[in-house]
Amino acid sequence: MPLDVMRRLLSPLREPIISSHYPAAPPLLQPAVRGLPEVDPAACSRDGACVAACPTGAIRLGDDGWSVDAGRCVFCAACALACPNGAIRLGARVELAARDRGDLVIVTPVGQRP
Amino acid sequence: MSATTIGEALSARLGHPVAASGPDDELLVTVSSAELQPTVEVLQARGAGHLMLLGMDLRGLDPGAGLAIEEVMALPGGPLVRLRAVLPIDDPAYPSITTVEPAAQWDEREARDLLGIVPVGHPDPRPLVFHGTAADADPVQPLRKIRPAAPAPASPAFRAFVAHGEGVYQLPVGPIHAGIIEPGHFRFSAVGESVLHLDARLFYTHRGIEQLVEGRSFDGALAIVERACGVCTVTHATAFSQAVERLSGTEIPPRARMARILLAELERLYNHVSDLGNICAGVGFHFGTSRLGWQKERLLRCNEALTGHRYLTGVVAPGGLRLALDERGLAGLGASVKEIDQDVRAIVRLLVRSESFMGRLHGTGIVRGEDARRLGAVGVAARASGLAVDLRRDRPAGAYAELDVPVITHAAGDVAARFHVRAQEAVISAGLVRDLAGRLPAGPIRAPLARDAEAGSSTVAGAEGPRGASWLWLMAGADGRVERLHLRSGSFANWPVVAAAAPGNLVPDFPLINKSFELCYACTDR
Repeated sequence: MPLDVMRRLLSPLREPIISSHYPAAPPLLQPAVRGLPEVDPAACSRDGACVAACPTGAIRLGDDGWSVDAGRCVFCAACALACPNGAIRLGARVELAARDRGDLVIVTPVGQRP
Repeated sequence: MSATTIGEALSARLGHPVAASGPDDELLVTVSSAELQPTVEVLQARGAGHLMLLGMDLRGLDPGAGLAIEEVMALPGGPLVRLRAVLPIDDPAYPSITTVEPAAQWDEREARDLLGIVPVGHPDPRPLVFHGTAADADPVQPLRKIRPAAPAPASPAFRAFVAHGEGVYQLPVGPIHAGIIEPGHFRFSAVGESVLHLDARLFYTHRGIEQLVEGRSFDGALAIVERACGVCTVTHATAFSQAVERLSGTEIPPRARMARILLAELERLYNHVSDLGNICAGVGFHFGTSRLGWQKERLLRCNEALTGHRYLTGVVAPGGLRLALDERGLAGLGASVKEIDQDVRAIVRLLVRSESFMGRLHGTGIVRGEDARRLGAVGVAARASGLAVDLRRDRPAGAYAELDVPVITHAAGDVAARFHVRAQEAVISAGLVRDLAGRLPAGPIRAPLARDAEAGSSTVAGAEGPRGASWLWLMAGADGRVERLHLRSGSFANWPVVAAAAPGNLVPDFPLINKSFELCYACTDR
């Protein structure tokens, strides 16, 4: 038995290192990861379907553009599913810490109010 | 037992014809409040067990209606029976059924706290959700649809049940603990090192989820319900989705039907592996904790590769799945899980052969089968005490009906039994994941709801999660919105069992006993 435990304890030494040198290197993410929603300004028709679909009220369409509040978003992808133009995707943006509450609201200009 | 026989048995006992309505597998029987207790006894005599009891305010749909209490029982091999008693607004009281059905003890206290429905003769009339502190000074009875004109009488202050006597001392633990765990207050009455009695006080993380979802669309409610806790998301989302599908008569596509099982088994697998590691932590055996913790991390990465979320949130939805499974994640899943399964088995083999480790597990925290049955234990806690209960086999939903999942039981009822049940179930879950990942049918993943759920219609749906059967009760309102929702998680059913497992053990063994159940506080408190 002790030999078994020793072998088991030593086995990680033979395994490759699977963590990354974060933050020096980018975080390890799976391709499918759902990060903060991103909008394609060229495809957005400002119809507001995403605003209505968001269960936490994180998305707004204002004069300055399309904004998502990282302090409210739960990464559920309701906005991406609701968008009739396929303009929204959940990107790989996962570094969302901010010093100021206001900085959690991320604005993308999407043209002028019709 | 068929619906007609149940109707006849109840009519014979009550002395008047009883109207039972609903589909064959789910009967809704309306009784008077005085008839509730005798009907429960009639069903008990036929082997029925308590699932949940909930209160509701029917005035949201019909302003002239009153409050109601509903006891849901399951007949083995037969339908669910829902006994509903309507109660007047000015005197919402009924004879408590806890005296005949001990498993209903917490449910009745919860309905009293949230709706002001009084179970007369309840053996433990202390508040459950509210603690009678300054913050609860004006109890609002939050689930009432119309606020009472006068505030409800203040709930009595919560007092722990303690033992008295020479040499008996109190040991208060929590609600703030030394580790990163959820809040709960445990009051031990101990003599020397032995626990005489344990009184657990929970509901520190009560967020009012059942109130929060009222009036929301089904999709909006789903986002909240599946986040009732972090580690049973597939279970709760599946129970909710099944309830919506029952109310709307929706059939889900074959791919979604199979994928739900794949996700449920992945959830069971990472939870069981993690819980096995936590049992090692309970005795301070860090070799097991760290090695199994790493296997759990590998499973979480599989989850992320498959669904984009490490805890599988946001995939299951009414009508099927909201999001497609990632093809790359699915392609690599079988091989990864095979490797992880082999590693977990190797670690478990080592642990089982360590006498000093198993010595702490054997004979610790024993729950006798009879106690588990009377207290309404579910999941691993029930199966480790010899009760062969598993919704996957007993009431198979979706594709489980075609899978024939074996039910693992152990008779000992101690921490070691719960360890073994988990280890064996993890192997079965890994096998199911590998099997299903290789043969998911192609096709659409979501069907639109077949029709709107009728306002006022209600149903019950359950899913076997890592902590046992979670049951969800749902009533639809107007325009496909939630009128009332009640979530009875596996953890809610099992907490009273934890308190019953502690007496007779050493105080320092309690963390181990607690970890062998590994219950969730958040989906108990809601």
